[in-house]
Amino acid sequence: MNKRINRRQALQMAGVGAAMAAIGAPAVLRAQAGTIKVGVLHPVTGPLAYSGTQARAGALLAVEHINATGGIKALGGAKIEPVLADAQSKPEVGAAEIDKLNEAGVSLVLGPFASGIALATTQAAARYDLPHVVDVGVVDQIVSRGLTNTFRFGPGFGKITSTALENLVKINDAAGKPAKTVLIVHEDSAFGAGMAKLLNTELPARGFEVVDTISHATPTRDFTNIALKIKSANPDLVIPSNYLNEFILMARTLQQQRVRPKGIYAILGGAASNIKFANEHNEAAQYIMDCNHWYDPRKPVAQAFAKACAAKKIDLTYEAMLNYACMQVIGDALEHAASRDRKKVTEALAASKFDGHIMPYGPTLFVNGQNEGAQPVNTQILGKNIEVIFPDTFASAKAVYPIPRA
Amino acid sequence: MNPDRIKLIAVPVVLAALAAAPLALGTGYWLGLATTTLMFACLAQAWNLLGGYGGQFSYGHALFFGTGAYVTAVLQVRLGLDPWTGLIAGTIAGGAIGAFCGALSFRYGLKGSYFALVTLAFAEVFRILATSVPFTGGGAGILIPLKVSPANFQFADKAGFYYAMLILFAVSLIVTLAVERSRFGAYLVAVRENEAAAAALGIDIFRVKLGAITLSGALAALSGVFYAQFFLYLDPHIAYGSGVSVEALLAPIIGGIGTLFGPLIGAIVMRALGEVANVWTDGAPGLNLALFGLLLIIVLRFLPDGIVGLIGRLGRRHA
Repeated sequence: MNKRINRRQALQMAGVGAAMAAIGAPAVLRAQAGTIKVGVLHPVTGPLAYSGTQARAGALLAVEHINATGGIKALGGAKIEPVLADAQSKPEVGAAEIDKLNEAGVSLVLGPFASGIALATTQAAARYDLPHVVDVGVVDQIVSRGLTNTFRFGPGFGKITSTALENLVKINDAAGKPAKTVLIVHEDSAFGAGMAKLLNTELPARGFEVVDTISHATPTRDFTNIALKIKSANPDLVIPSNYLNEFILMARTLQQQRVRPKGIYAILGGAASNIKFANEHNEAAQYIMDCNHWYDPRKPVAQAFAKACAAKKIDLTYEAMLNYACMQVIGDALEHAASRDRKKVTEALAASKFDGHIMPYGPTLFVNGQNEGAQPVNTQILGKNIEVIFPDTFASAKAVYPIPRA
Repeated sequence: MNPDRIKLIAVPVVLAALAAAPLALGTGYWLGLATTTLMFACLAQAWNLLGGYGGQFSYGHALFFGTGAYVTAVLQVRLGLDPWTGLIAGTIAGGAIGAFCGALSFRYGLKGSYFALVTLAFAEVFRILATSVPFTGGGAGILIPLKVSPANFQFADKAGFYYAMLILFAVSLIVTLAVERSRFGAYLVAVRENEAAAAALGIDIFRVKLGAITLSGALAALSGVFYAQFFLYLDPHIAYGSGVSVEALLAPIIGGIGTLFGPLIGAIVMRALGEVANVWTDGAPGLNLALFGLLLIIVLRFLPDGIVGLIGRLGRRHA
C-alpha cells in the first residue's frame, strides 16, 4: 500500500522535529557524556561519625575538582556522580548499603573508613563484581582473602607498624635512648586490638619493655582510671591506638592527672594528626607524635588540596586526605578504563600507575589489591601545627623528644 | 473460629508467604533486608519465649546470639569443622549457656529487674572474655574464610541465604507454637501471671523457667550462627554488644509481647520504619535514626500491647 504524506502530517512532523531540536537534541548530547556513578560509603553516623564525615568531605572535594576540570575526558567529559551511603558504624549496615549502591548502578565504591566495616563491604561488593577502593581500613585480611574487586590505596597494619617501630627506634636513638619502658593503650576492636598484639611481639625485640597493655571500649567516656594506671606504671613512653574521641579524652585526662611520660608516640592515633585537636586542646596535644596516614606537603596538588579544605572549612585530617587521594586514583582509573563497565574499571585499577595524587606514595602499584608504595609518615604537634618529622625527605620540622620539662 | 485453629492455619500460610517473598523482592537490597529482618525476628522470637510467655525479661540476649555465632566461627576457623556441624554445636552451646545462666539466676530467686541486670552482666562478661581469649581472635575478631558453597553454608546468591534463614525462623516459630500448645507452655504462662499461685498448684517454677531459658538460648543462638555465616566476620562488639540485646526485645514489644506473630511483625515494622525514615530524610546523616526513634515512641505510647494487640482490638470491634 502506497502511503503518501499529506501537508498536515508534514507540518506535524516538522513541528515535532523542531521541538526535538529545541529540547531533545541537547538531552541526547548530555546522555553521551552523562555521569558515572561512584558509591561513597562511610560511617557518617554512630561512634565513627566524625571520621566518616571527614572522609566523605574529602571524597566529595575530589569529585568537585575532577568535575570542575572537565570530568572524565575519555568518556566525553562525563561527570562523576557521587552516590552517598551511610554505614552507621556497623558492618552489617555497610554490607546492606553495598546492595543499595549496586542497585543504584554505581561503577565502583569508595570507603568505608573502618576495618571491621571494610571486611563486610568488600565481601558484599565481591558478590556483584563491584570494584571497591578501600580508603582507611588497615586490617591486612581486607586484601589477603583473594577478593579481586578490592583495592586498598593506603598502607596496612604490617607496613604501618614496621615503619612506626623503625622510626621510633631512630627517634629514640637520636635522643640518646631516653625510653626503655612502654605502655600500650588501645581500643578493643579489630584495629586497636590487632595493633596491640603486634606491638607486644615487636617492641621487646627492639629493646623496649612493655610494662602494661590497657584496652578500652569505643566509646569510652572516662579515662581517669586508665590515666591513674599509667601514672602508677610510670612508663617512659605511652603508645595509644584509638579513635578520635577517645584519643582526645585520654590526652586531656593525662594532662589533668599530670601524667608526664617522656613521650607519647601514637600509631594511627585517632586525634594525634588532627588539626582540630591541635587547635582546641593545644596544651594537651603538645609534642604528641604519631605515625599515620598523611599527605606530602611538598606537592603542589597537596597544597591546593589544603587550600580548598581551608576555603570549605574542612578539617585537615588524614581521613579527608586519603579519600581525596582515593577519588583521584578512581578518576584516573576511569580515564584509563574509558568505560563505566565494572570489569573494565577493575582492570584499570589493577593496572593503575597514577602518581598525581596528594599522598607520599609514588605511583600506585596494586599487588593482590594492596598498593605497594603506600607508607605512613611521622607527625608531631608543635605549637598549633602538625609537622611531618619523618622520613627526612618529607620532613617539615625536627622531632622534639623527649618532651621538654616546663 | 477457635484461635488455636486460626494459628494452626496461619503458621503455614505465613511461612508460604515468606517463601514466596523473593519473587516480589528481587535479588538485591530488599532481599538482603528481608534476610536480616528474619534473622532478628528469630532472635526476637527467642526473647519472646522467655520474656513474653515466661515473663522473665532479659536485657542480655546477645549472650546467646554471640555464643552461637562464636561457637560456629571458632569450630570452623580453629578446628576445621563444617558450618552445618557448627550450626548444631552453636545451638547446643546457646542452650547450654542459657541453662547455666538460668540455673544460677533462678536458683537464687532472681526475678524482674534483678534477672534483667544479671543477663546484661552475663553478656558483658562474655564480651570481655571474647576480647581477652586468643581463640576468639580477641578484639581483632574472627574471620570465616570465604568459600562459596552450600556445603559451607555460603550461597552464591542472596536467595540461598534468605531460604536458609527462613528455615531457621520457621524452626523458631514452630517451636514457639508447640510450646504455646503444650502443658509446658501453660505452666510458663502460669508462672508469668502469678508465680506464687503457680507454685501453690504444684508447678516446679525453677524447672519451668530453666526450660524456657534453655530453649530461648538455643533459638537465639540459631540467629547468631546465621549472622556468622552471612557476614563471615565477628568481633566481641558485634556478637555480644548491647545493641543486639535491644534489637531482641524491641521487636516483640512493638509487635506484641507473648504472641506468636508479634516478634515477626515487630521486626518487619522496625525495618520498614527505618527504611521509610531513610527515604523521608533523603539520606541526611542521622536524621533517619532520630525520626525512627520518634516513630518508635509514638508506637509504644499508643500501642501498649503491640501491633498484634491493636489487630485484636480492631477485630473485636468489627465482630
